[in-house]
Amino acid sequence: MKILYFAKIKEVIGKSEDSITIKEQTTVKDVVEKLKLINESYKLAFQDTKNIKCSVNCNYINSFQTKVTNNDEIAFFPPVTGG
Amino acid sequence: MKIIFQTKKLNVEKVLNNFASKNNSSGSVISFLGKVRPSNKEKKIKTMDIEIYEKMALYQTKLALKKLLKEIKIQDYLIMHRYGNLKPGENIIFLIVASEHRKEGFIFIQEILLYFKKKITFWKKENYQDSSKWLDKQS
Repeated sequence: MKILYFAKIKEVIGKSEDSITIKEQTTVKDVVEKLKLINESYKLAFQDTKNIKCSVNCNYINSFQTKVTNNDEIAFFPPVTGG
Repeated sequence: MKIIFQTKKLNVEKVLNNFASKNNSSGSVISFLGKVRPSNKEKKIKTMDIEIYEKMALYQTKLALKKLLKEIKIQDYLIMHRYGNLKPGENIIFLIVASEHRKEGFIFIQEILLYFKKKITFWKKENYQDSSKWLDKQS
């Protein structure tokens, strides 16, 4: 699965994307837990997920319990500030 | 009916004139221009970085338009938003809408701006003399 990071999250992690393989039908929360194991930067970036927005295939998700597969594109980012 | 996200400067005068000429039969053409402020809470802004998740920004803008255009009737629109590194005074967002009457045009501008503040995936970082800060509140 393709994982994208934007804005402050991208800066903390130090890269803009990752590609990982997951078990079929896992949740976004499980993906986050897996990412946090990579290193301290990921752990720091995902320390407080309350302020992190997430999209799956460009659609906002309401819960980190949302199920995802290896074909999905997931993005993590702070609340938007455009306009 | 166009959505354009670009790094190059927005030539608003030319774009507005072309749009107004193209929509000669519309009774109302309304535009909105959002710019980089020179300071934020007395901190002087040197430059502003605007980041985009382009695929999602385009997708979410189209979703917003689909919903909005079911509610109000307009004749044409142009949505332009810059990203990259901008200086104070430069244009960030430029919206133009043509409609038969002004009421729909004002609603369109207001609603699209609200979508950009809430849903469209752009992020702003202000760069000051000695530091930088990602904006975390709508402004």
